[in-house]
Amino acid sequence: MFLGSTMFRHRWLPIFLVAPLAVLVFLFFYAPVFQAFYWSFFLERPFGGGSEYVGWDNFARVLSDPEFWKASGRTVLFMATASSLAVLVPLILAIAADRAVRMSLPARNILVWPKGIAGASIGLVFSFVFNPFVGVLAPLNSLFPGIWNPSFDGFDAYISLIVAHVWGNIPFNFVILLAGLRAIPHTIIQAGAMDGAGPWRRILDVQLPLIMPQLFLTLVLEFTESVTSAFALIDTITKGGPGGATTLLVYKIYLDGFSSYDLSGASTQTAILMVFFILVATLQFVLLGRHINYER
Amino acid sequence: MNAVDTAIHVAAKSIRLADVTKAYGKVNVIPSLDIEFRSGEFTVILGPSGCGKSTLLQMIAGLERVTNGKILFGGKEVQDLEPKQRGCAMVFQNYALYPHMTVAENMSYSLKVAGMTKPERQARVKIVAGMLGLGDYLDRKPGQLSGGQRQRVAIGRAIIREPGVLLFDEPLSNLDAQLRHDTRIELADLHRRIGATTVFVTHDQVEAMTLADRILILNKGQVEQFDTPKAIYHRPASVFVAKFIGSPPMNILPAQGDGSVLRLSDGQVVGEYGLKGDFQLGIRPENVVVEQGMSGGLAAPVRFREDLGSHSIISVDIAGTPVRIATPFGGVVPDYTRLAVTFPMKALHLFDGQTGKAIPEGFGVASKDGK
Repeated sequence: MFLGSTMFRHRWLPIFLVAPLAVLVFLFFYAPVFQAFYWSFFLERPFGGGSEYVGWDNFARVLSDPEFWKASGRTVLFMATASSLAVLVPLILAIAADRAVRMSLPARNILVWPKGIAGASIGLVFSFVFNPFVGVLAPLNSLFPGIWNPSFDGFDAYISLIVAHVWGNIPFNFVILLAGLRAIPHTIIQAGAMDGAGPWRRILDVQLPLIMPQLFLTLVLEFTESVTSAFALIDTITKGGPGGATTLLVYKIYLDGFSSYDLSGASTQTAILMVFFILVATLQFVLLGRHINYER
Repeated sequence: MNAVDTAIHVAAKSIRLADVTKAYGKVNVIPSLDIEFRSGEFTVILGPSGCGKSTLLQMIAGLERVTNGKILFGGKEVQDLEPKQRGCAMVFQNYALYPHMTVAENMSYSLKVAGMTKPERQARVKIVAGMLGLGDYLDRKPGQLSGGQRQRVAIGRAIIREPGVLLFDEPLSNLDAQLRHDTRIELADLHRRIGATTVFVTHDQVEAMTLADRILILNKGQVEQFDTPKAIYHRPASVFVAKFIGSPPMNILPAQGDGSVLRLSDGQVVGEYGLKGDFQLGIRPENVVVEQGMSGGLAAPVRFREDLGSHSIISVDIAGTPVRIATPFGGVVPDYTRLAVTFPMKALHLFDGQTGKAIPEGFGVASKDGK
């Protein structure tokens, strides 16, 4: 234990306190992941009842499937656009709220609300919002018929997903980034003003460098979150369509595993996705983590 | 020190506040100020917390807007200008260094914003770092510096632009006593060399007395007195100033004049005096004379003694009012429980009983020749 015995005199108390969460995380995260890695080397029968060791065959099959590469491409694209937007938009909002623009006090509170909404609910709401006939863009369609139709146009469907994702992720990132901005001593901003830097220059030279730890945190979380949480949105808004245009890897894994009963293929893709995540996170730490070390 | 010192040239500007007011909502922080800080002068603004001194400084800097009135730098109106257009620099209480920049970057940031080329910036940083003894620390970040070093960086950052107006917001309050003393002397020296019009806010009277050409004493946003340290000490304009300056501060006792003598509230006679009315009588602790023996003068039961080695501070009660007496250096006062003291008339200050303002006819050497 990291904490000394002064804090927890009873040896088992910390373990007892952590146990419920640890059990949950183990049962619903680690165990399935290990299982997926294990299954990725076996050919599983769809309804159970025996399996056969096939070595790297599953990987060979998955990696030669063009659909896998398409879904991976879409995933990376979604990760890049959705996660950067889901950090950029809250960043702009947080800077505005920090500068105490008009209405920033109510906005600061209201912006946090979406955090309490489940991904599937967000998806459901947005499938109405983006409905080409009754949604907010319906008037646009009556002016320019067919300009917006996510159920036929893959690009529109993709945009719907990104907007829904960004909206759902504004609160957390907003809170983190605003807290970071608030933690900057007011006199440092004033010093910037005295040094002749205008508001934009101060944001660039002083505020952004000083919230690097928060930006880094939100980006790291966002990169993984954007890929995993997309499932609920896809399932409720686009069902992976139209024509597979919004079938990201997480959704493809679900379809392969639970609709097509290709358990081995789904497990293999899960394993690949896990490895990819680990690589991305490591890369982020190596590349970005270096630039954020300073003492206040 | 040497030739490079001359490389910092400032064109000092006078600062004039013309009927400046400041209100936050309905709270009137500064009712109305009309003062001038002369060009090249070192002014200390002194006052208790909440007297409006920091607000005043921020308005001069351009970090706070004036509610009404004008601010003029060298005759030019600046109250509507941004800080960067005013040409003044500021040293903050908590240093406010940029934690992600090195010492050199911190000091040269304003030059960078102003568009100066890198070689020029480096040359200037070298000069200023030399003046402040920071040459070895240019590549460090503020987090790796001591409090005193950070303070120097903050000062360096302020003077590197050769500002005509230099503002300090309680810059020494985060330093320990020894460092505060050293930095105070360095600041005085720096001011002599640079010559910028300097406004220095503090609540420390020692800083005010030692640094200032003139001291502005603020109370609830209004000027109590604006004069040289000597005049402030020897001719306080009000009870507020009298109590604020001096350590321990001036003793203040209620007194009454009946036209022939001046009496304390319990009837004891202080001395002969021609004016009638209610007064507040002030006497500095070092001016109270302890009579040898216990006879004559005013009765002063001793409550407390503090022996400081070089001298003692004796707390007594006179006419029910606590009075502190500072014994002369090397002087020994017997350890009695009661003393008899006199207030020499020439050392007395008289203030109006109601308003607390000094009475012009107030007598005594202290209130006339300023010595």
